[in-house]
Amino acid sequence: MFRPEFLPVLAAMAAASLFCRVGGYMLMRFIPITPRVEAALKGTPLAVMVGIVLPVAMKGNIPELIALAAVALAMRFARDEMVAALIGVFVVAIGRWLIV
Amino acid sequence: MVSDSITVGWAGFKRGFWRGQPMSIGILFYGLAFGLLSREAGIWLAEAMAMSAAIYSGTAQIAAASALTGTGIDGGGSAGIAAVAAAIVLLNARYLLYSASMWPWLSKTSPAFAYPTLAVLGDGNWVLSMAAYNDGERDAGFVLGSGVASFGPWLLGTFAGATMGGLLADPKALGVDFLLVAFSAAMAIGTVRKAKRVPYANLIVAAIVALVVDRFAPGGWTIVAAGLAGGLVAALTHKPDTTQGAA
Repeated sequence: MFRPEFLPVLAAMAAASLFCRVGGYMLMRFIPITPRVEAALKGTPLAVMVGIVLPVAMKGNIPELIALAAVALAMRFARDEMVAALIGVFVVAIGRWLIV
Repeated sequence: MVSDSITVGWAGFKRGFWRGQPMSIGILFYGLAFGLLSREAGIWLAEAMAMSAAIYSGTAQIAAASALTGTGIDGGGSAGIAAVAAAIVLLNARYLLYSASMWPWLSKTSPAFAYPTLAVLGDGNWVLSMAAYNDGERDAGFVLGSGVASFGPWLLGTFAGATMGGLLADPKALGVDFLLVAFSAAMAIGTVRKAKRVPYANLIVAAIVALVVDRFAPGGWTIVAAGLAGGLVAALTHKPDTTQGAA
């Protein structure tokens, strides 16, 4: 059940979220897709991944660092990103259990 | 390779849905965490579910829930509502980047497909979809399928957290919060390995920017800044004959 006074809040929150989800996409309508722009779009995910991983690594917590090493090792052998990621989660869970 | 025709099909949807499954486990627990928190914040079940469906972002919803704890469910008037909305835009700014980079994937599909697909876009399925595109996947159903794979568990997790409460183990002890980090690390290694030329400049600049921004404005801003910097470097270092290796 909803309280009526929540509806304006919900609408504003939904609009804010939608703006981000759709805004970048709509903007691309006005940007010609040159090879350079294409290269930028292709280069963005790798940089985002760096932005996700590095702050966690730099905190220097042992379980996370060992788990990241495990991910890198798994990628040498398993060649499947999801398998490597799940191994990383498994290692971090054990690490956190051992090192409180 | 640049402008292969995009199709939308069930086969792609199923591939995406399947590839998105491991990520969905993490999302389920994240949804649980929000559901729990929403209950403590005095948000009713249907309201929490509506938030999860309409916002679909853990960090933004947790911030909104704690703001509403302070102001009451009405947001404390229009100024309070504007503040909550602004916080969501700031916390979700990375989606501006994600949705822009979805252009090659979605611009040739119908709006009736593209916009719902953007509505269920998440960090994990965005990374999956961009990597799949680089690997030659051209069925945009993949993007929607991998998005739906996480959106359902997100709603389910919210429901379970808001109704059942603290019956479940601490997600952090299970390492669930680490899934996106581990997945990103693995994808980064995979991306570098597949690239014809290792994009050193992109990696180094993204790393420096991430470290600097993380000191001053941690969280979503690190991702936005690193992504923008890396994209810019990729554009500047782009050479016409080596497009394919620039990932």
